[in-house]
Amino acid sequence: MEYLPLLMFVAICLVLLLGYPVAFSLAGTSLAFALIGLATGHFDAAFLHALPNRIYGTMGNNSLVAVPLFVLMGVMLEKSRIAEDLLQSMSRAFGNVRGGLGLSVVAVGMLLAASTGIVGATVVTMGLMSLPSMLKQGYSPALATGTICATGTLGQIIPPSIALVLLGDILSSAYSQAQLNLGIFTPKTVSIGDLFLGAIIPGLVLVLLYCGYLVLYTRWKPDAAPLAEDGHQAIAVGEVVRSLVPPMVLILAVLGSILAGIATPTEAAGVGAMGATLLALLRNQLTLARLREVVLSTTEVSAMVFMILIGAAVFSLVFRGFGGEEMVESLFRQLPGGAFGATLVVMLVIFLLGFILDFIEITFVVVPIVGPVLLTLGVDPIWLGVMIALNLQTSFLTPPFGFALFYLRGVAPPGVLTSDIYRGVAPFVALQLLLLGMLALWPQLATWLPYTLMR
Amino acid sequence: MFRIFNAIATCIDRFTHYSGRIVAWLTLAVMGLTCSVVVMRYYLQTGSIALQESVNYLHASVFMLAIAYTLQRGGHVRVDIFYRNLSRTGQAWIDTLGGLLFLLPLCGVMLWLNWDYVVNSWTVKEVSSESSGLPWVYLLKTLMLIMPVTLLLQGIAETIKNISIIVANSTADNSPTDTRG
Repeated sequence: MEYLPLLMFVAICLVLLLGYPVAFSLAGTSLAFALIGLATGHFDAAFLHALPNRIYGTMGNNSLVAVPLFVLMGVMLEKSRIAEDLLQSMSRAFGNVRGGLGLSVVAVGMLLAASTGIVGATVVTMGLMSLPSMLKQGYSPALATGTICATGTLGQIIPPSIALVLLGDILSSAYSQAQLNLGIFTPKTVSIGDLFLGAIIPGLVLVLLYCGYLVLYTRWKPDAAPLAEDGHQAIAVGEVVRSLVPPMVLILAVLGSILAGIATPTEAAGVGAMGATLLALLRNQLTLARLREVVLSTTEVSAMVFMILIGAAVFSLVFRGFGGEEMVESLFRQLPGGAFGATLVVMLVIFLLGFILDFIEITFVVVPIVGPVLLTLGVDPIWLGVMIALNLQTSFLTPPFGFALFYLRGVAPPGVLTSDIYRGVAPFVALQLLLLGMLALWPQLATWLPYTLMR
Repeated sequence: MFRIFNAIATCIDRFTHYSGRIVAWLTLAVMGLTCSVVVMRYYLQTGSIALQESVNYLHASVFMLAIAYTLQRGGHVRVDIFYRNLSRTGQAWIDTLGGLLFLLPLCGVMLWLNWDYVVNSWTVKEVSSESSGLPWVYLLKTLMLIMPVTLLLQGIAETIKNISIIVANSTADNSPTDTRG
């Protein structure tokens, strides 16, 4: 009976594989276990009575209002073809540079993916937008698909991503709980903005690694990335500026105001969404039908995210009712290697879970369980958040189960072999692991900026 | 017999469809009000708790009222490693069982747990804990009953639709006029 919580966790993973929506499978399976527990006297129904308060807490959480607003901003930039224009004019500007199209894809992915948080959606969007033109220009399928998969998941760790909003929210409550456990009654806090700050340097390093790889590889194998045939046709500078500057300014303004501490992430998200809407309006891209599409898809994503949050709340209450938290804690205390050993195990588990669960589910289900324990052991919250985000991003890219690969497979033409995608993505996985190793060795990569600015 | 069930499903479907399409527009209001909070704070140097709270009210209304709509649109994420390769009937089986075993009981449990919580709020006509906040916390909390009810209804509609897919396909397979194979 001691391992009942573990059994429940395994059962949930198996049930999830059947393919019924995650939020309902999570809650439903947990309730089934609660029922068994009630019948055998191992579970106290009082734990479930905390659910209404949890749901109401979610409804009243102002930080989480940033989720629909960032989604609105991202969907608006995508549906009003602002992102597509950006990609086209950038790749034409880079027409004479070897690998220029690949670099443009990375740059656009960095800007666009920033505001969306769902792996599948971003990879599909990037795939539909850039794969045909890369293949037409003669890029090797492996290089093209590898670049797109990696870029599509990049948005997870580049702020402002909703993945970081959600992770930041969970970590901030885990951090205060950890400090209470340690008997600190004037706890320090960590906010979503702090996590954004922490993710900036690792995110930029990752982008540089991607770009460096593209430049070196295309120099080594020029055939894999031929120049555009019309590359010599000069493109008007004005056109590039016109399509590049507004979205750049928008995203930099959103990020800048959060980082400078002028606005909360929610406020910045609201202004960013408004900015994207005005931009679409100015370009005559905003018909009523398109606006309806944007609000509907924002609403769907929002309802999906918050339903998972509710499902995860049911799970965590049942898990706690079975004594799961004590079990995890004692498990971690028995691990050799202290905080390092525990973090390593958590990272491995999260990496494996990344094969079946998306960012949001892992954030809501796993982080509330392991977060307080790790933070009590003295792990830095910002570093932990960045490590989790980067780790998950790596997991989504890793063959044969990575999410990104499946989604790109879905939109790639049949001529692109699955083995091409695997081969193409492997170097990017190596770059991810390199950065993870660097972060483990030098946590300052993540912690230096936020702690310097906080003072 | 099936006709009655299908009529019920169609009716619920229509309700969910329109309710989703209406609440979706509130996202623009969330955006607009958030911007006005910013303008007030940074340009007029005043903050309004009531305005801040109305952002949260609208945001909560959007996601709580759209959960059923998202179910209808298939917007709740799945782990579809195996699901995507199943036949239409196989998928209908999973969705029927999931609906009956997970979704509908979950709605029941949420209704049961949330009921007292919401009723208590109504009896005292609960107001915001902030003195200048909005006085309609009991209305906001009522969403916690509306959400399970709408989700329950849509869950029933989905289950009916999935069962009719299973039935339709199984009769098609056994049909004597089908001489293929």
